[in-house]
Amino acid sequence: MIDQPAAADDIAIRLEDLTKSFPGGSRPAVDSLDLAVPRGELVALVGPSGCGKTTTLKMINRLIEPTGGTVWLEGTDIRTLPVHELRRGIGYVIQQAGLFPHRKVGDNIATVPQLLGWSKDRVAERVAELAELVDLDTSLLDRYPSGLSGGQQQRVGVARALAADPPVLLMDEPYSAVDPIVRARLQDELLALQRRLHKTIVLVTHDIDEAIKLADRIAILNLGAELEQVGPPEELLRAPANEFVADFLGDDRGIKRLSLMRVGQTRLSRGPVVAPTATAGEARAVMAAEGTDWVAVVDGEHLLGWVAAESLDGDGAPVSDASPRPFRAVVRADTSLKAALDVIVTSQTRVAVVVDGPTGGDGAVADVAGTPGYLGVLTVDDLAEGVTQ
Amino acid sequence: MSRGAAPLLAVDEPLVRWDWVRDHTDDFVDLFWEHVSLTVAAVGIGFAISMVLALVAVRWRWTYEPLAGFCGVLYAIPSLALFGVLITIPAFGLGFRSALVALVSYTLLILLRNIVAGLDGVAPEVREAADGMGHEPWRRVLRVDLPLATPAIVAGLRIATVTTVGLVTVTALIGEGGFGDLINDGLSRDFPTPIVVGAVLSVALAVAFDVLFVVVERLLTPWARAGGPRRGDRGAADALADARARTAHDQKWIAVGRASAGAGTGVLQ
Repeated sequence: MIDQPAAADDIAIRLEDLTKSFPGGSRPAVDSLDLAVPRGELVALVGPSGCGKTTTLKMINRLIEPTGGTVWLEGTDIRTLPVHELRRGIGYVIQQAGLFPHRKVGDNIATVPQLLGWSKDRVAERVAELAELVDLDTSLLDRYPSGLSGGQQQRVGVARALAADPPVLLMDEPYSAVDPIVRARLQDELLALQRRLHKTIVLVTHDIDEAIKLADRIAILNLGAELEQVGPPEELLRAPANEFVADFLGDDRGIKRLSLMRVGQTRLSRGPVVAPTATAGEARAVMAAEGTDWVAVVDGEHLLGWVAAESLDGDGAPVSDASPRPFRAVVRADTSLKAALDVIVTSQTRVAVVVDGPTGGDGAVADVAGTPGYLGVLTVDDLAEGVTQ
Repeated sequence: MSRGAAPLLAVDEPLVRWDWVRDHTDDFVDLFWEHVSLTVAAVGIGFAISMVLALVAVRWRWTYEPLAGFCGVLYAIPSLALFGVLITIPAFGLGFRSALVALVSYTLLILLRNIVAGLDGVAPEVREAADGMGHEPWRRVLRVDLPLATPAIVAGLRIATVTTVGLVTVTALIGEGGFGDLINDGLSRDFPTPIVVGAVLSVALAVAFDVLFVVVERLLTPWARAGGPRRGDRGAADALADARARTAHDQKWIAVGRASAGAGTGVLQ
């Protein structure tokens, strides 16, 4: 095993020698699995279908009873807890949300608090809180689940799992039944939620890209839930432990790493830059040195725009006379390298200009108003160097 | 009579003598309550028993086939034969209790099958979610499985009730028959008016019960109207067809009984 976290008190869930044999099965569905899930991390169990990842997940909330081994939850053997108490303390999100069709959305969310016997007022307050947390319009709370879109249902599923504020969430293929656009949005929402809530999450998925996007750690399982490798996505992509892991990650591991790395992690070029007071002659000299037919106009730290070689007048005039135009190929420090690569290959200048500014999520910034801070330019060479370093 | 074999009923008698109907309206009210109370008691008791059997069958799967088989045998016993046996048992005797036992036994198969089908029809992911959230088994059955099985259960109740309304007419043979008394009376006197009135009122009662259940189901399952498929719901037309077939079958037995064993029928009356 690689990269099992060391300190025992950071571990929320520990699977020890966990085994499940189904009657009539030729080999155990889960065979002596050891795995530690650090507190506050999202660990994805990934593997081919039938590898035992869902069986493993369901042994954590005892929907399936192991035939051997132990699940430790915060140092407690889960068999010592009454099963209903255990489950009420673990959020559970499943495929297609599994909402109760006969209960209104608000009552669905209130399921566990009601089971725990909370007062009506407290439940109502919590439901409103959760609706806001998962960005669900409160007018939907009075509807039945069948009146919601797939994406909304999945949000309700997450809200329901979080209702009693459990420290641990189990998610079983939560986004496999929604279309790719909604899936991407729900994944972003989960990441945002997790940044605020720091739950310990075990996520089962067959989608390696989903795991790479969401997980702090990925456990790649082979048949019989045999652990092939566990570690941060970046580490798996950089150094797959064996051929199985490499195959599972796909033959575009380099591109996938680009999606994990940020522009700010690479060394940027300064680029063809002149001050607004520079003359056209000085600008031409910079362009010649950099091999471009344009120049960025930067006032101190502020990016004013760019000027094309052919729009410059006589050698003596300042470049600002040529009215710098705003860049279109702009990224920020927190833009993923994959998105930056897309900006680079679709821009005429073959570079992306890097500016500072408010975080804009994963996507590149198409256009920047005003005068953002100039950080440099990113070229394909810079990007490749960032990946291989 | 000039044509062929002697008909069961006199042909020169009008189908309905309205003056007779007018004179007997008070009787109809009594018979109505008798018919309703027998039906409600039979379906109510049958429902309670079937619910217990269904929960057992769902919990211990292997019991389902034997239970359904037993109820199937009960269902297959010709009603006349069953009455004949029941009235010889001292605890039941001639009257309400024998009628009730027979009627209850005919509801069991329909109700058991429908309740089990309804519980089986609950989507597995919903059941798993309920378990995963920490419902105790009994609470899950009460709060998730049974509410979701309601359409199928009500469908079963509709068939059972309509069938029972028809069957009650046959229990007239053991002195507890509601509108069946009218039919029996008409048959024994070759007098068509009470037969027609009894049959019409019985069918009207069956339809009324059926409509009542439709309303009750709508009230119980507001979520089913919000969209999404409903499971196991049989139409009222199916239920009525069932009931009609059964009633025809039993009335035929009455006729045969009268023709071949007049003395026996006389005892029963």
